[in-house]
Amino acid sequence: MTDMLRVTDLHKHFRLGGGFGRRAEILRAVNGVSFSIAKGETLGLVGESGCGKSTLGRAILGLQKPTSGSVELDGKDLLAMTKAERQRQRPRMQVVFQDPYASLDPRMSVHDIVAEPLRINGVYREARVKEMLDCVGLRPEMADQKPAQFSGGQRQRIAIARALALGPELIILDEPVSALDVSIQAQVINLLMRLQKEMGLTYLFVAHDLSVVRHISHRVAVMYLGKIVEMGTRDQVFGAPAHPYTQSLLSAVPVPDPKGRETRGRIVLKGDLPNPANPPSGCAFRTRCFKAQARCAEEVPELVDRTAPGHASACHFAGIHTKVC
Amino acid sequence: MMADVILSVRDLTVEFQTPDGPKRAVDNISFDVHEHEVFGVVGESGSGKSVTMLAVMGLLPQGQARIAGGEVKFRGKSLLDLDTEGLRAIRGKHLSMIFQDPMTSLNPVIKIGSQIAEAIGLHQKGLSRSAIRDRAVELLGSVGVPNPGRRFDQYPHEFSGGMRQRAMIAMAIANDPSILIADEPTTALDVTIQAQVMEVLASVRERTGAAMILITHDLGLVAETADRVAVMYGGRVAELAGVDEIFAEPRHPYTVGLLASLPRLDASSSEQLYSIPGQPPGLRGRPSGCVFNPRCGLKRGRERCETEVPALREVAPAHAAACHFSEEVGDWVREVAAAKREAAL
Amino acid sequence: MWVASFLLSAVMLLIVVMPLLPIYDPYGQDLSYGLMAPFEHDGDKFSILGTDFLGRDLLSRLALAGRVSLIIAVSAVFISLVIGVALGLVAGFFRGIAENLIMGFADLQLSIPRVLLLIAVTAVVGSSVLNLTILLGVTSWVSYGRVARAMAMSLREREFVLSAVTQGASPLWNMWKHLLPNVLPQMLIVGSFELGQVITLEASLSYLGLGVQPPLPSWGLMISEGQQYLAINPWMSIFPGLCIFMLVAGVQFLSQRFTKEGDQDLKMATRWSKKPA
Repeated sequence: MTDMLRVTDLHKHFRLGGGFGRRAEILRAVNGVSFSIAKGETLGLVGESGCGKSTLGRAILGLQKPTSGSVELDGKDLLAMTKAERQRQRPRMQVVFQDPYASLDPRMSVHDIVAEPLRINGVYREARVKEMLDCVGLRPEMADQKPAQFSGGQRQRIAIARALALGPELIILDEPVSALDVSIQAQVINLLMRLQKEMGLTYLFVAHDLSVVRHISHRVAVMYLGKIVEMGTRDQVFGAPAHPYTQSLLSAVPVPDPKGRETRGRIVLKGDLPNPANPPSGCAFRTRCFKAQARCAEEVPELVDRTAPGHASACHFAGIHTKVC
Repeated sequence: MMADVILSVRDLTVEFQTPDGPKRAVDNISFDVHEHEVFGVVGESGSGKSVTMLAVMGLLPQGQARIAGGEVKFRGKSLLDLDTEGLRAIRGKHLSMIFQDPMTSLNPVIKIGSQIAEAIGLHQKGLSRSAIRDRAVELLGSVGVPNPGRRFDQYPHEFSGGMRQRAMIAMAIANDPSILIADEPTTALDVTIQAQVMEVLASVRERTGAAMILITHDLGLVAETADRVAVMYGGRVAELAGVDEIFAEPRHPYTVGLLASLPRLDASSSEQLYSIPGQPPGLRGRPSGCVFNPRCGLKRGRERCETEVPALREVAPAHAAACHFSEEVGDWVREVAAAKREAAL
Repeated sequence: MWVASFLLSAVMLLIVVMPLLPIYDPYGQDLSYGLMAPFEHDGDKFSILGTDFLGRDLLSRLALAGRVSLIIAVSAVFISLVIGVALGLVAGFFRGIAENLIMGFADLQLSIPRVLLLIAVTAVVGSSVLNLTILLGVTSWVSYGRVARAMAMSLREREFVLSAVTQGASPLWNMWKHLLPNVLPQMLIVGSFELGQVITLEASLSYLGLGVQPPLPSWGLMISEGQQYLAINPWMSIFPGLCIFMLVAGVQFLSQRFTKEGDQDLKMATRWSKKPA
């Protein structure tokens, strides 16, 4: 199987402050991330706020220029090519954002919103717009209305129709359902999964909701402070999480079933996310980790297969969670 | 044995002023909260769950919304008859509220400690300044804020989201209230921080014995913390029962749909999620009859759903549902599940 | 609101409807009927608002002067709006050097008093209606530029702009299709505030003899002409002064109204998604 997207050692650093004699801090929002997604596959990228998952998505899209590393789309390095060439590759990779209120121009009609990518690239056909609206389950007479007349779920459908218009192969979904109500969330997830099957799309699904990621993803990567700490197939990561962060993340998700809630083991992490501009030495997670040892402060754990082939984790003590306390 | 009722809401109706005249955001809802229990209120946006609690607290936006009818009683005493002064004496002392966004509910230019001290001073007159300070530091420590003495003198922006919510909880429990109303207390937080905050809330309740009303859209949170649950939809209570009954044997088609549309961590993931068709109704254009009827799978074209508002009635012991055909729900769920299995084969 | 509509419709009545009625020629001089007071009969001659020192009918001149003043003001506002929006969008969208240059220039221009600047430039290029209009337009773009830049800075981070970028849109496309339509309503509000300013400015310059040149009338010029006869016939200055007041006040009231509605419009447009509440 060929890789649709291959990201190698990607860094995106921001300079904070500085000037007037103060030293600028370097915020390593994305700090050496490598992964690949096969054609037709969904990679779920999970992490809490501030872990760099959205920055990673934007760096891949070319909305923010990465500090170093490479992004290959279908074998072609996007960062090494000329601007004009990159512009030609753009239609192959599209995006759906989290906020369906901010992602649609309030002064455009639905038709114009979906037609925009076609017009930019000079391939506008009215039939294509109709086809796209139909594809995401919107009625043709809705085309003349403004986004303000739609609810969050319908707006997200419009955004999906726009992303699909150019016939992309890869779609980066940046928290596409987290602003939606539960009953609407299920509609959009089903739509995304159906479209993937019909069109053979490849998804990078960025989210903080673990249940949603588990439902839609084939493979999953977990991020913490700019780095991937665990990556594997869905069943590996959710069934046998190897990294203590993944384990605590999974145990923190409330289960919608009151049965046995008293006996359910829960790892409650100590403290808050450390300042990303000044991360702890060694393993960045060690300050909150229940397994931390002296070694964790000295040696940065590599992301390598540790517990099973194809199941990588960045922890010196990776393994099935054994309750410590 | 049921504990005493501490808060009782009867036929509460709240109207909002809209350009098309007054519209009911909350329509005839009734429920009781017992001493020491956790009462979960679940619903999607626009279901009226937050408005209900604002009405109970007397915090509805003046001029935009008003209580059009009903009764709210705290330990047998009507809250709606109270004047501003009387309400103020109860608010914060007996009933206190924790809001979703700790950034906007804390004053950014006042030190955290002073805000907690203010909450104490309001209801415990005659306490010396140093006694108030000691109490505030103690409260901060009790909600798990490290270094409470130093943190006392910091401003909200120096606190992380989780710490701010802890400070809010400290303020809310400053006067040992008998009911804590928590409106989406962890929605703005990450899951690992949410787990911390929920643990703090649990320990606080254990210590003070306060009852809690937990308003949330997260069914998982309710399943893990609530004793009894009200499911709200379109300004009405759709179902009201103990937490085990609601999740094991839902008796309203909306609850059934809501549970089925959740992606789960604990169940094997099937290919397709059940999804309730259509959109939840806004304030305008609420359907006649049962508010849920245009989206309901159990309606099956029956006219009664469109013409008659279903009353919230007891369908099993301590289990109420507002559906004309609640008795059919069990069979319907099995039917749908069987059809799904067949389709999968 | 009704105050604004009353003031503005009175002015409109004067400058649009009045010239259609059989009134005196605004240029028609007759020295024998000079300096008549309002409603004064002098033989067979009757003038509603009186006449000026050359015997020209004040009502007819006020109506003509109103048209001159308004055309100058509206054209100047249009010129400054176009310049301001263009520079503001470029500064806010591209940031960096372009922004530093444009905003630096704006600060420089603001540091010189506007009237002084206008006097100096008119002294060099000479005074004519066209010069006046262009000068007024070119020197008052800064407030548009500032607002447009601030809005562009927030709009460029909005997801609909980012999404267009991923589809291959050029900066020009984004500025034209997304930034401009979202900025324009605010610009019109700024424009309505500026209109009052420009009218007063034009009046002051004409009063100083640097604007509209006689025999063409403008309200400011008419005040200045009446100044010498203030003791004999004060109406020559009072009426044009009243007209300026009515127009400026009317426009200001109206623009405040727009601002209120515009705020709501902006709130709707920038509505942040809420988590289910």
